[in-house]
Amino acid sequence: MNSYERVLSALQHKEPDRVPLDLGGGCVTGITGKAYRHLLDYLGYKDTGISVQDQVQQLVRVDEFILDRFGVDTRAVWPQPPSTWNFERKDDGQYWSFTDEWEIVWKMPKEDGFYYDMRKHPLAEVESAEQLTDFAWPNPLDPARLRGLGAKAKDLQHSTQACLMLNGPSAGFFELGGWLRGYENWYMDMLINPLLAEKLLDKTLEIRMKFLGKALDELKDSILVVVETEDLGSQTGPLISPQLYRKFVKPRQKELYSFIKKKAPGVYVFLHSCGSYYEIIPDLIDAGVDILNPVQFTTPKMDAAGLKKEFGKDLTFWGGGVDTQYTLSRGTPEQVRDEVKRQIEVLAPGGGFVFNTVHNIQADVPAENIIAMLETVKEYGAY
Amino acid sequence: MSTFEEIAAAVISGNAKKVKESAEQALAEGAAPQAIVNEGLIAGMNVVGVKFKNNEVYVPEVLISARAMHAGMDVVKPLLSDADVQDKGTILVGTVKGDLHDIGKNLVRMMLEGAGYKVIDLGVDIAPDKFAQAVEEHKPQVVGLSALLTTTMSSMRSTIERLKGYPVKVMIGGAPVTQKFADEIGADAYASDAASAVEKADQLMAS
Repeated sequence: MNSYERVLSALQHKEPDRVPLDLGGGCVTGITGKAYRHLLDYLGYKDTGISVQDQVQQLVRVDEFILDRFGVDTRAVWPQPPSTWNFERKDDGQYWSFTDEWEIVWKMPKEDGFYYDMRKHPLAEVESAEQLTDFAWPNPLDPARLRGLGAKAKDLQHSTQACLMLNGPSAGFFELGGWLRGYENWYMDMLINPLLAEKLLDKTLEIRMKFLGKALDELKDSILVVVETEDLGSQTGPLISPQLYRKFVKPRQKELYSFIKKKAPGVYVFLHSCGSYYEIIPDLIDAGVDILNPVQFTTPKMDAAGLKKEFGKDLTFWGGGVDTQYTLSRGTPEQVRDEVKRQIEVLAPGGGFVFNTVHNIQADVPAENIIAMLETVKEYGAY
Repeated sequence: MSTFEEIAAAVISGNAKKVKESAEQALAEGAAPQAIVNEGLIAGMNVVGVKFKNNEVYVPEVLISARAMHAGMDVVKPLLSDADVQDKGTILVGTVKGDLHDIGKNLVRMMLEGAGYKVIDLGVDIAPDKFAQAVEEHKPQVVGLSALLTTTMSSMRSTIERLKGYPVKVMIGGAPVTQKFADEIGADAYASDAASAVEKADQLMAS
């Protein structure tokens, strides 16, 4: 069984030969530069350089020799930047900063910085839906984004026989509302300026669909998974009420996900949302989500056994392999092993499970814990 | 419904316009400004806090309630002389060094303000020395530290170290933070959400 078949089998809710493993296939399933450096050093690759793929999260492109060494079943596909924009890091006193193609300004502390965070939201001052037309929206159809990518993806699929995951070029259509307006404005918009919220979402959805339309034409024969990233949950419960979710988000998810499936039958929709949002999981299934990530099983109502029992028939859990807030970063290798073993026991039966951490491996995760995790997946992942 | 109850109800439903009108009406009826704050605005936010904790309302509703409360404060505040102001105490809040996330911290600030505290918000990426300087300047009773990342939680430890010797209590919160971690680094309290932050602050003030 090759990697592609292994993941496909899991997605079809059939037990493959072993639990498929993802590391860095998605923009939310990878490893940050600092943690990766520790891992490479620990494994003796001291002179190997690292290449940052996602500046905001400081995520690396995981090297083929690591993916191969640990039997990782996925590979990432990323579109290129548009012809009108390039990542340019500016010196901003105690911060590094850059402006993205949406005109969002991001900053990261030079000292002890881990992420770029948004410090300027380009639509923060907008008051009405009409003003949205004045904004210089990114062009999703810019040919530079996909130039040569179809052939590259085909080669990658051919050489690795892996499950290819389409990422980027930006956050999910709903998440972008908060990025463009600023979270506080955005959350209030849905209640006090709903027309603006609707029109903004129509626009971000339109951009997403235009990009995916073209990308799937190019890539549908080589990718298996489309990664959608939204944030619907917090540490304690849903960020917005199920009512607001059903009004603003769900109908558009339905439109987008059915568009993806029509355009590329056989491709699976992967939805990333951290936190706890048990209340809307049936809605997500109804909207067309096939894969749920990162399964933050330590939050209320999100325990892995409960989710597996209730939604395991309809969803593949991609993640939930080990907690990253405590176990992976602060636990011992022994604690990591125990938890990985337990999570596999709970999530693997019947397929519908791809092993991954709960979100990216952060800078403070010791190499010993990453190794303990990967070895345990190998040891206990066989069906 | 009394005018105070109307104010509280409008805070709960997040109707800023109605809060403003009702606060003006209460003043016209001869109500004391501080009573409008305590029995109208704060009473309303207390209910919002409970509902938020119980997942009956969510972040958007809390934000518009806080906005409505501020609309009422804007009416009443100019009429409160310094002697009248009966803040429950002063609380300093900030996101710790290395961490630029602020929505959680802002929700805590709103809830604390809504509970009648004077809140000094230092912002994000605040180094231990900056917290110490602000403690000297503002003399708060409580300092609240926020972090979203596991990687920046260690800044909470160094901030607490730095604040040793000052007569302040420190409470901490943020997605990855737990009671266990709070105990480990010697924080005086841990709050799991913005509404609990008010309860913990009240306890720290009373202790």
